[in-house]
Amino acid sequence: MSIFDAFLVSIQSVWLDSGFAAFTTGNLIMILVGFVLLYMAIGKEYEPLLLTPIAFGCIMANFPCTGFLEVMGVMKVINLGIQYEIFPPLIFLGVGAMTDFGPLIANPNTLFLGAAAQFGVFISLAGAMALGFTAQEASAIGIIGGADGPTAIYMASKMAPHLLGAIAVAAYSYMSLVPLIQPPIMQLCTTKKEREIKMSQLRTVTKFERLVFPVAAAIIISLLLPPVAALIGMLMLGNLFRESGVTDRLSDTAQNSLCNMVTIFLATGTGMTMNAHDFLTVDTLLIIGLGLLAFAGGTAAGLLLGKVMCRLSGWKINPLIGSAGVSAVPMAARVSQVVGQKANPSNFLLMHAMGPNVAGVIGTAVAAGTMLAMLAK
Amino acid sequence: METQSLNPVVIMLINMTIVFAVLFVLSLFIRLIHFVDPTKPKKAAPAPAATPAPAPAAPAAPVVEAGISGETVAVIAAALASYGVGFSQVKAIRPANSASWANAGRMNNLNKM
Repeated sequence: MSIFDAFLVSIQSVWLDSGFAAFTTGNLIMILVGFVLLYMAIGKEYEPLLLTPIAFGCIMANFPCTGFLEVMGVMKVINLGIQYEIFPPLIFLGVGAMTDFGPLIANPNTLFLGAAAQFGVFISLAGAMALGFTAQEASAIGIIGGADGPTAIYMASKMAPHLLGAIAVAAYSYMSLVPLIQPPIMQLCTTKKEREIKMSQLRTVTKFERLVFPVAAAIIISLLLPPVAALIGMLMLGNLFRESGVTDRLSDTAQNSLCNMVTIFLATGTGMTMNAHDFLTVDTLLIIGLGLLAFAGGTAAGLLLGKVMCRLSGWKINPLIGSAGVSAVPMAARVSQVVGQKANPSNFLLMHAMGPNVAGVIGTAVAAGTMLAMLAK
Repeated sequence: METQSLNPVVIMLINMTIVFAVLFVLSLFIRLIHFVDPTKPKKAAPAPAATPAPAPAAPAAPVVEAGISGETVAVIAAALASYGVGFSQVKAIRPANSASWANAGRMNNLNKM
């Protein structure tokens, strides 16, 4: 009998220590959210490299009693990498090594399209403040409109760490939905005549320009906006690796193995912030709504400035490249190409759209820097 | 200033102005880099007016054997163009002998490309 009692006590103890005893409906809902994200990543192939680890991180974050974020271990270290903004600049190193700034250097006017697309960030910021978010929270929410995941995480970590999960998921979800969200706005904001405009070939960019640009850009932007020196510095360092021609091994590591490793850590860590307690709130729904507003506003603002530049240039600039001013490299540029080619099958806008697209990456970092300088406590 | 800077519209205007200003400065630097670039190709001096060269003779059209449709000719031209061969280089289009072993050998060679 005593053996039976001991057995029962042991079983009870195991049950009480297990996650099942502390499992809540909220945990169940968030694990189902994780399944939906996994389906989007694997079934629909929406940003699978990011959404898969985010989704799995979301599932793991809702296992009760794990102590993932309390006890020092791999999950805690990953969380520290996000908390101390270590991963976003490392991702930017890889992005820089993968980015060709040639189209931007060949046509520097496209920088203005990258700037205009940041309008969505500030529309969303104003909307968030009107809904009762603090200025710091609103700035972190607004940056979703930049369609730049690492910068969104960077801002959220600094300005509103408690909203990190919702902001990161909204940012990456909208980035993956660029081909669905942007075309209707592009059709709405442009005429057929504008969409049919064929742009002339870009000039050749010399190696001298390719080498000097990342160094000069890092110096200028870092001096103007020190809060984003880490992001811009790493972006330009990665690009220098690519363009120098003597650091192929470093460039290869930055754009492949290092970037892949950091992506795993950053995305899993982001998913790990999606526990039911923090995520299942009305704020999350508001953030997702405001993110869509930011994204649509940024796309429309880029297109409208594109229309102005089209008129000023004597119909030589196709306004469709303006929508690529939201970062989302290179997906937004590809959407410009697809919509432009639908209007005129002999239209090739991809390289022209890459100018505003990479300008958008810089523009989003600059917008983040101005908000950090102005609003950080 | 504190209360004014927390007005969403003021924040929006200030930030948009700064973003445009920073990217404008960057665009000036890009132009400056291009201006001082010692390696940029020099603009060629305008060529002296030369007597107009005689128009090149139109390339001879390939001989297409009877029974080959226009569509087939277009497909062959497109396939050659994808390998950088102009249609003007084609001398003739005629049906190949239908020796199955020879065709298998050709297919084998093509599959290696």
